[in-house]
Amino acid sequence: MFVGRHEAQRSAISFVVRHKAQRSAVSMGGAQHLSYPMLGYTFRRLLGAVLVLWLAATLAFGAMQLTPGDPAQTLLAASGASPEEVARRRTQLGLDDPLPVQYARYLADLARGDLGVSWLHGRSVGRMILEQLPATAELALAATAFGALLGMALGLLAALYRETWVDALATGLAVLGLSTPVFWSGLLVILLFSLYLGWFPSAGSGDLRHLILPAATLGFALSGSVARLVRAQVIEVLRMPFVMAALARGLPLRRILLLHVLRPAVGPAVTVVALQLGFLLSGAVVTESVFARQGLGRLAVQAILWRDLPVVRGVVLVGALAYLLTSLLADLLQVWLDPRLR
Amino acid sequence: MRKSVERASRCPGRKVLERALCALAIPQLQAISPRRPLRHQPLAFSSLLWLAAIALGAALAPYLAPSGPTATDPSRALLPPGPGRWLGTDFLGRDVLARLLWGARWTLGMGAEALALAVGLGLPLGLAAGGTGGLRDVGLMRLVDAWLAFPGLLLAMAVVAILGPGLSSVAMAVGVAAAAPYARVVRATAREIRAQPYIDAARAVGAGPWRIILRHILPNAAPALVAFATTQLGWVLLNGAALNFLGIGVPPGTPEWGAMLAEGRAYLRDAPWAAISPGVALTLTVLAANILGDRLGEG
Amino acid sequence: MRRLFILLLVAAALTTGCTPRPGGRIVYGLTLAPSGIDPHINASSELGIPLTSVYDTLIYQDPKTGEFVSGLAQKWEVSEDGRVYTFHLRRGVKFHDGTPFNAEAVRFNLERITSPDLASQKARFMLGPYERTEVVDEYTVRIVLKEPFAPLLDSLSQVYLAMASPAAVQKWGSEYQLHQVGTGPFVFVEYVPGDHLLLRRNPDYAWGPPVYQHRTAQLEEVEFRFFTDPATRSPALESGEADVMGEIPPQDAARLQGSSDFRIEAVAIPGVSLMLFMNTARPPLDDLLVRQALLFGTDRQAIISTVFRGTSPVACGPLAAITFGYNPMVCEFYPYNPGQAAMLLEQAGWKDTDGDGVRDKDGQPLALDLYLMGWGYMPEVGQLIADQWARLGIRVNSQVVSYPEALKIAQEGRHHLMPFNLSGSDPDILRKFFHSQAGFNWAKVNDPEMDGWLEEAARVSDRNRRADLYSQVQTRVMESALVIPIRDYVNLNGVNNRVQGLRFDARGWFPWLIDVTLAR
Repeated sequence: MFVGRHEAQRSAISFVVRHKAQRSAVSMGGAQHLSYPMLGYTFRRLLGAVLVLWLAATLAFGAMQLTPGDPAQTLLAASGASPEEVARRRTQLGLDDPLPVQYARYLADLARGDLGVSWLHGRSVGRMILEQLPATAELALAATAFGALLGMALGLLAALYRETWVDALATGLAVLGLSTPVFWSGLLVILLFSLYLGWFPSAGSGDLRHLILPAATLGFALSGSVARLVRAQVIEVLRMPFVMAALARGLPLRRILLLHVLRPAVGPAVTVVALQLGFLLSGAVVTESVFARQGLGRLAVQAILWRDLPVVRGVVLVGALAYLLTSLLADLLQVWLDPRLR
Repeated sequence: MRKSVERASRCPGRKVLERALCALAIPQLQAISPRRPLRHQPLAFSSLLWLAAIALGAALAPYLAPSGPTATDPSRALLPPGPGRWLGTDFLGRDVLARLLWGARWTLGMGAEALALAVGLGLPLGLAAGGTGGLRDVGLMRLVDAWLAFPGLLLAMAVVAILGPGLSSVAMAVGVAAAAPYARVVRATAREIRAQPYIDAARAVGAGPWRIILRHILPNAAPALVAFATTQLGWVLLNGAALNFLGIGVPPGTPEWGAMLAEGRAYLRDAPWAAISPGVALTLTVLAANILGDRLGEG
Repeated sequence: MRRLFILLLVAAALTTGCTPRPGGRIVYGLTLAPSGIDPHINASSELGIPLTSVYDTLIYQDPKTGEFVSGLAQKWEVSEDGRVYTFHLRRGVKFHDGTPFNAEAVRFNLERITSPDLASQKARFMLGPYERTEVVDEYTVRIVLKEPFAPLLDSLSQVYLAMASPAAVQKWGSEYQLHQVGTGPFVFVEYVPGDHLLLRRNPDYAWGPPVYQHRTAQLEEVEFRFFTDPATRSPALESGEADVMGEIPPQDAARLQGSSDFRIEAVAIPGVSLMLFMNTARPPLDDLLVRQALLFGTDRQAIISTVFRGTSPVACGPLAAITFGYNPMVCEFYPYNPGQAAMLLEQAGWKDTDGDGVRDKDGQPLALDLYLMGWGYMPEVGQLIADQWARLGIRVNSQVVSYPEALKIAQEGRHHLMPFNLSGSDPDILRKFFHSQAGFNWAKVNDPEMDGWLEEAARVSDRNRRADLYSQVQTRVMESALVIPIRDYVNLNGVNNRVQGLRFDARGWFPWLIDVTLAR
């Protein structure tokens, strides 16, 4: 395993030298950023968040305007409503107003925290989202936990046994996760664990047993990128002088791995997972459908297919909010996990 | 080789997110031993062989395939693999091998088109943001954040609706959705390179921002960006297929592998071969692209 | 009264052979997460599957005879001019919340449905030229129409026009759909959107229509879950997570039929069959010969046996064979005959002059744009048809589009062919497709004579006259080759054998859960 220890040591030392040199370069270049007081940073981050929310809202508004199809006609066509009745409904939905008026009204409602009423369901969008949010959050969290754990295990194995068959197997599994669609792996999992073995239910939400299959399926898809990243990180950390020092001091390898190697490697994995939130929601769309779960993803797909604009906008805003929150959390978590960053 | 090791440790973005992204873009397989020729790296070599094989299969499909990719024959529906139908037939009696061979064209074409769009949009955006910094950087990145906040698959659905149906629309839709993370990675990498002393030197001798971006940042960032692009190949192919699963997507009957997978899953219990073949082909291709991407990044 | 009840029980026990065991619970699999479930507002057919048992309607339709029978209305009269319907209501009926049911409740419900503020998506339009409701006395109510509307009784027998508790509607406002209160054999307990919907037996139910076999529900609870992914429906049924599952894919149905634990109950759905509308306004389909060639050149039997595994009947005309007014003569038209198809195309001037395998005329290839929606096996059917026609030298460019896009494409007439099917028990449904002003006039037909037939049939109340008019319409549709019928819709319900007595209403979609029992 440590065939190239000598060489590794050398490169680790040379790494430190360069690292220091580079750090000074960074602090020169980034001095003005670092000198900002914490308050200013918080303020700027908050301002950025508002900007992102506004942009996401505008993006959703614009995208749905460009999408062909008349919402009023979509709602009423199958009922045999006359063209006049469809036109009346269109006016009722406010679709006859000029675009700037619709946009201004939308922003004004948003500012008051009003997400509007779903054209398709006839209920408050805010309430509908609140109903679906817990199930989606539950799935996302469980899948993330599973994906992160599996990814870290695979990445660690691959890094420790680099360039051996273990590496090939672990990397292969990770890429399998990256290249297997959830609608396909989900069905396999249902057939195997639910129908043939009868271990877990295939459908619905509620207790933990219902969560296991969908979370594992979605988590497996997520583990691929985590594993690739952890592998790279661990290889990098293994080259660090403090690992050598710890080895020299006679600390057991297991302890070194846990305390010194894995801990700093987890941070970036967490952030990658945070970045994958959009992916997670996309995956949730399919996962919810395959495992007959409730959730935001299904709500959003239905809304897009039916041109239910208030719901589409609502889900996008919630997605943006979740994205901002997770990236903030990930930043904090990483600092906590990796003391070098403090 | 050394250079890439340095890069791995030097992802200094102020935000942790950016640092992680930058690290993700750094090639994964940094062997400490000196670089070996490709033929002595069995994984990379077989990856290259596989990609060459499917490219050849795609090119020679008219000669190799036992029949056309859309020729149906209800009397031969769902037959298991056997002589004359090496991978079996699907629910419309079409030869799976023929569809797989022809499908390589659509699949590779779609993947290439989507990736080209992701890179075409993401690269300039990320370079403009990360290569110049300042207000432009902040503004562009908030835009990318908003874009990222739109769940990729939903964005793709909206784009397909806007562009109208068709294989090319699907490719563009997933490409647009993949462009945002790409822009983020480009920006993180560009910022990292911008912090290097030689950039300061270039600036000191009067090089303009765009000259710095094009002459210094882009060439140095290229390997990492290629590596990340290949990891996105899997994403674009899978999400093209997920659109099919959701009932919009590539034209019906297109032998694109993802679409074959989506269609074949309904018959998983009667005719697993109809879905397993495109599934294995898809996985191997994504695997090969990932491994080669890593190796390219190392160079 | 009590004695009568016991007598009835004994009679029931004698006729069925053994006393049915009351109690128990089943899980019923629905196939779509419905888009809102207020029957007065929303339009999905999924909502009717649970809610038919929560509500009662003024009248019911006997699926065997097609006759309308009493429900909450014991009897009714229609005025000479067909504009005024008078209903004499049953007494002693109470909503689940204790509110008494009376004429005022009927008026309240119909006013709610027709109020523009409610933005009804279906119920409002089922009332046709509705004008007002008059309360004559506590138990007599009058519905007045602006003009005669023959499908009204059919509409009033559907859950969309069911009677909801005025007190509950007022109490819950826009959240009423999560707290629905009716008079039916089951009480609405809870609905977690997208997850499940729970019904519990209403022990006080005593006013069921004569089509119900039991006086009160036999099951204690019914839970509904939503299985949107067709491939997972059969596994959920087989692993015991659902006892009844709608819309089992045909290939899974074939497997379940051979099992000793499950059965398939195939229910034919009345309405407009799955068919391809041919845009008669866009060349080359403006040529009758070409349209007829497409009909002769389509091997529908092959489609049925391949895509539907023989589980659906081949459709002959625009109406499913089970629908009232169906004209069996349409089956005489267009048997599969590729030779005839080729001949007609030659006759119309389409020949393959450049030898590329595609016919052409005046330098234009014979290429048709086919737009499909991604549900209901339309993509599968489209692929087979495209290949069948390719052998006749016709190129088909098919695309999958979403429903709103399809509507837009059709409105602009950019399609050559587009499939659709719609369920509905009254043949007036044909007016939505073949009237020149219809929203679904995807064939772009403009036939004043057919418009006249459709309008008259919507007005006259004489069933025989209506049947004649609809027969003429069906013949005309096929003579003018406006559509390529593919299959009559059949809902393949997978049922666990422990579930007995599952029957469906005249719509074919909605189960009468009151009569469902569990085997010992």
